Amino acid sequence: MPTIDVDYPELERLLNVKLNGDMAKLDDILANIKGEVKAFNEKECTVSIEMKDTNRPDLWSVEGLTRALQGYLNQTKGVKQYAVGKSALEVKVNAQLYNIRPYICCSIIKDVHLSDNIIKGIMHLQDKLDQTNGRNRQKTSIGIYNLDLIKPPIEYTAVKPAEVSFVPLGFTEKMSLDEILERHPKGVEYGHIVKKNPLYPMLFDGEGKVLSFPPIINSNDLGKITEESRNLLVEVTGTLHKTVLNALNLVTLALIDRGGKAYSATIRYPEKSDYTEGTVVTPNFDNKRFQLSVEDTNRLLGLKLSAKEISDLLLTAGLGVEKVAGDCLTVLVPCYRVDVMHQVDIIEDVAIAYGYNNIEPMWRELPTTGRAKPDQRFIDIARELLVGLGYQETLNTTLSNQESLFKKMNTEPAKIIELSNPKIVTMTCLRNWLLPSLMEFLSINQSVEFPQKIFELGKITLPDETKETQTRDEDWLAAVTTHPNANFSEIKSALDSFMGNFGVEWQIKETAHPSFIDGRVGKVIVGGIEVGVVGEVNPLVLEAWKLENPVASFELNFQQILERKLNKNKT
Amino acid sequence: MAELRTQEQQLLSALESLGGTATVEQLIQACGFPDSAVMRNALTLQEKNFLSIHAKIQNIIKLTTEGEQYAKDGLPERNLILATAQLGGAADLKKAAEKAELESQFIQIALGWVIRKKWAIYTPQNNTLSITETLLHQTTIPEGCDETLLKHLQDKHQVTQEDLSPELQQATEQLKKRKLLTVEPKTTRTLQITSEGKKASTENKIAPQEITQLTPELIITGKWHTAKLQKYNIEAPVAKTWPGKKHPYLQFLDEVRAKLVQLGFKEMTGTSVETSFFNFDALYVPQDHPAREPSDIYYVKDPQCGELTKHSKSLEHVKETHENGWKTGSTGWGYKYSLQAAQRLLLRGHGTCLSARTLEAGNLEVPSKHFSIARVYRPEITDKTHLSEFNQVEGIIIDQNLNLKDLLGVLGKFAMEIAGADKIRFKPDYFPFTEPSVELSAYKEGCGWIEFGGSGIFRPEVTLPLGVKEPVIAWGLGVDRLFMMRAGIDDIRMIFSQDLGWLRKKQVT
Repeated sequence: MPTIDVDYPELERLLNVKLNGDMAKLDDILANIKGEVKAFNEKECTVSIEMKDTNRPDLWSVEGLTRALQGYLNQTKGVKQYAVGKSALEVKVNAQLYNIRPYICCSIIKDVHLSDNIIKGIMHLQDKLDQTNGRNRQKTSIGIYNLDLIKPPIEYTAVKPAEVSFVPLGFTEKMSLDEILERHPKGVEYGHIVKKNPLYPMLFDGEGKVLSFPPIINSNDLGKITEESRNLLVEVTGTLHKTVLNALNLVTLALIDRGGKAYSATIRYPEKSDYTEGTVVTPNFDNKRFQLSVEDTNRLLGLKLSAKEISDLLLTAGLGVEKVAGDCLTVLVPCYRVDVMHQVDIIEDVAIAYGYNNIEPMWRELPTTGRAKPDQRFIDIARELLVGLGYQETLNTTLSNQESLFKKMNTEPAKIIELSNPKIVTMTCLRNWLLPSLMEFLSINQSVEFPQKIFELGKITLPDETKETQTRDEDWLAAVTTHPNANFSEIKSALDSFMGNFGVEWQIKETAHPSFIDGRVGKVIVGGIEVGVVGEVNPLVLEAWKLENPVASFELNFQQILERKLNKNKT
Repeated sequence: MAELRTQEQQLLSALESLGGTATVEQLIQACGFPDSAVMRNALTLQEKNFLSIHAKIQNIIKLTTEGEQYAKDGLPERNLILATAQLGGAADLKKAAEKAELESQFIQIALGWVIRKKWAIYTPQNNTLSITETLLHQTTIPEGCDETLLKHLQDKHQVTQEDLSPELQQATEQLKKRKLLTVEPKTTRTLQITSEGKKASTENKIAPQEITQLTPELIITGKWHTAKLQKYNIEAPVAKTWPGKKHPYLQFLDEVRAKLVQLGFKEMTGTSVETSFFNFDALYVPQDHPAREPSDIYYVKDPQCGELTKHSKSLEHVKETHENGWKTGSTGWGYKYSLQAAQRLLLRGHGTCLSARTLEAGNLEVPSKHFSIARVYRPEITDKTHLSEFNQVEGIIIDQNLNLKDLLGVLGKFAMEIAGADKIRFKPDYFPFTEPSVELSAYKEGCGWIEFGGSGIFRPEVTLPLGVKEPVIAWGLGVDRLFMMRAGIDDIRMIFSQDLGWLRKKQVT
C-alpha cells in the first residue's frame, strides 16, 4: 500500500478546514478515500498517510487527495473541470521505439509559482507514480523540464548507446549512455529496463540538445527545475498508452491545482510502421461515461434510493451525472479515476457517500449446515490422546531449510519444494517431515526442566507430479521424549497406547534409518504398509542439534493411518 | 532430646558415615531417597539443630568447541614454534605457518602468543620468526599452565575452578579471555552435621517405627493398624510436574472453527503450493501487480509451473476479463494476459485462493457458506508485527440477492460471536477482488478498538468468469490480533513460540 507524506499546513489550506492537528478527525475525513493517518511528524509538520487503494494513483499527492475530498467536505461537488489550452509543440516519435518503449505523452505548464514545498510535493508524486503505477519505471516514467530552455519540436527516438553523451542530472561531466548505466546511481538502479534492447530511448529538442535518457535520467542542463522555473514541460514515456497518459494527466492536474495553466502537445507517431496511433493530442482530461442502473445500485446496497438521491451521492463522491433516463443514469467519471472499471466501482462510491455506518446491518439466516473438514474430528482425537499421554502440543513453521531437514538429521538430501526467492537462510523450503521441527524445538529448550515430551500434528509437503500444483500436503504426527533415561521402550509404549486407543492395529519391523540408532529403530506397519518410524535418535543427530539428553521419537503419516482406519471401518 | 523419624535417622547416619559433610547429590546416592525427600528431611533436621545447610556457589569450567580442538591439536602458538624449530630455529613467518598448518586467520593470534610467551622474536622487516636464545638450548619447549589446564579439562570434561591450583586458576582467566573455555556458576548444597547431630546419630535414638510410605503389603496384612504413619512437613516444596496440553493458539483456532461451523459454514481445504491463477488471476489481480513481485510472494524454484488444463474454460474467461472485461460489464485491465504467468507455482499468500477454487469447482450450492483456516506465506522479515508464515481465517457466503446490508450483518455477527465485541464500526476498505469493500473495527471494553476483519462483495470480474452468477460475500478475520489480545501478548512471534517454559506455564484464558 502506498504511503504518502504531505505537508500538514498545506493539507489544511487545500482542504479548507481547520483541524488544529486533530488526527482522529483527519482520519475520519480520509476514511472516505480509504486513507489512514500513519504518523504525524510534529517537528517537520508532515503527515504520513497510507492509501489502501493501490489502484487510485490520483490520491498520491496532496493536490489529488484534497481534490477527491472536496465533495465529502461539502465544498465543490461533482466533477471538477480542468482546462487545457492548445500549443504548437510537437513531438516526433521514431518507428524503432515500437518494440523498446513505444509511448510518450507531453504537456506544457505556464506561469506556475513553485515554492520549495511544492517542488518537494511534485517530486514525491513523480516518485510514487514511477515506483507503484509505473512498476519501478518499467511501465512508465516521468520527466519534468524547464520549458524556456527547450527549442521545439521534440524528438523521441532510439539511439545506439555509444552515439550519445551528455551531462546527467547531478553530475558535471559528460558521460556516454553506457557510462551512465555503469556509474550514475539511477543508471545502476534502472539500467536493466533498457539493456534488453540494442537501442536506447532518447529525447532531444529541436536543436539536438538532450532532454533526457528515459527512463533513467534527465539532462543536467534542461531537466532541472527550481523555484525560479515558471514554464515547464512534462513528459511521460512507457509501455502502455493508457497508463502513460494517466501519469501525465495526474502530474499536469497537480500543477494546475498549483496555479499553472496547462497547454497540450501533439504527438506524431510514424505512419507506415507498427504504430496505429497516428496523431495524438495530450494531456486528455475527457470524462469517461458509465451507465448506472438504479435497480442494480439498490440491489447491491440493499437500499431504496431514488435516482435523485443517487445523483446527489455521486456528486458528493466527485463524480458527475450527465443525464437521468428512467432507471438509468449516465455517470461522468473524471479521467484520473482509473479505478472505475465497472458499475460496481461507482456503486461503492454511492455507498461511501451515503455512509457505511448509516446502513443497518442485517444477519440473514440461511438454511446451510456447517461442517469442519472431514479429518478434523480424528485430528482432534489424536491430539487429545497425545496430550493424555503427557505430551505438550507444539506449533512449528512449515518453512524450513535443508541443513535442518537432512544434514543435521544425518540423512541424504531428497527432492523437496524449495523457494526460488527465500528471504532468510533458515526458511528456504517446505519441510518434508516433522522430526527436524521437534529437534529444533528441543535444541532451544535445553535450559528448561526435563523430562520434555512434545508432539506436533501438522502439514508436510511432498513433490507429486500427478497433482495440479505438482505437490501434495499431508498431515503427519511426530512425538519425542527426552530426559536422562529416555529410551526405545518408553516411546514404543506411548506409540502402542496411541495406536490402540486410536483403533489401529500395527506391527513393528526392524529397519535401518540414519537418524536413529542401529538396532533401536523400527518401521511402523499398518495394514501391510509402512506408515512411519519409531526409535532412539542417533547421537550424531543429538550432537548436531546440541542436545545433551537421549531422545526417543516416533513419526507417522497420519493421513495414511486415518485412511487405513476408515477403510477398515467400511469393510 | 528430640525424636528422629526413620528417614531423618537414615539421612543423619549417612551424613556421618560420609565424614560429617556431604553434598545433596552424595546423600541421594547414599540414602537412595529422591532429591525432594533429602531436602525435606534435611530441613527438619536443621530445625532440630542436628545439621546445617550451606549453599555454595562454585564455578564450573568446561571447554568450548574451539578449546576442545586446541586440547586435541595443541595451541596454535605451540604448533607455530614447533614448526619454526623444525625449520632450523628461524624461518619466514609464512613458511613456518604453512608447516604448522595454521589457517590464515590464526597466524596473527599464534604470532602474538609466541611473542608474549617469549618463545620467539619476530622481525617485521624480513618477516622472520626466530626462537629465543634461552629456548634454543633446551630440548623441549616447556608446557605452560594454560596447556596443562587444557589437557586436564580434556581428561575430566569439566572441573570446579576452586579445586584448581592457584597457577591453573590464573590460566583459567587467560583461556576464558581466549574463549577456549566457559566458566559458569553452579550452586551446590552441602549438609554439615552438628555436634548434637553426631550425638543423636551415635546414640541411635530412633523413634518408634514410623511408616513413610503406605504400601499394599501394609494394607493387605493389616499391619498398618499398629504402625505409626509419619507426619510430613506438608509445606516442604515438591518437584514440579507439567501436564501435556494443546497448543494455546491451535486451541483458539479450534474454538473459531467450532463457532463458524455453528454459524453454518463448511470448511474448505487446499494445498500450500498454489498456482498464480488461483492465488491472483482468478481474483482479478493483474499480472503486473506489485503484490506479485518476488519481494511480496514466495515462488517455487522447481517445478515452476502447475497444471491448469482442467480449468481451461475458466482460464479463458479470466484471460478475457483481464484483457477486455469479457461479458462482465467491465473495461478489464487492458493488457496482454500471459498463460505462462498463470501457471507459475507459489506458496499461497492468502486463503482467498481456496474461495476461488470453491467457486470454480462447478458444484456450488446456493445458498452456501464456506470457510478456511489456511497457513499462508509472505516473504516478510519477521518482527513484532510480521510473520513470514501465519494462519488466515476467511470464507465466502453465496446466495441470491446478497447485498451490502448482509455483508455488514455478517461482520457484525462475527464481531459479537467470535471477538465478543461490545461495539462495531465500519470503514471503506480496498481489496482488488471486492467492491464494495468494508473494514470492520470491533470495540471491547478494556481493549479498545481493534481492526478485526475485512470483507466485501466479490467483483463480477471474479465471479462471472468462474461461472458464478449469484453475489458472493467474501470475508476475512484478523484472528491473530484477537488471540494476542486474549493471551496478553504483544509480539506476534509468540504465536509460533518454541519456548517450552511459556507453553507449560501458559494459563487458560
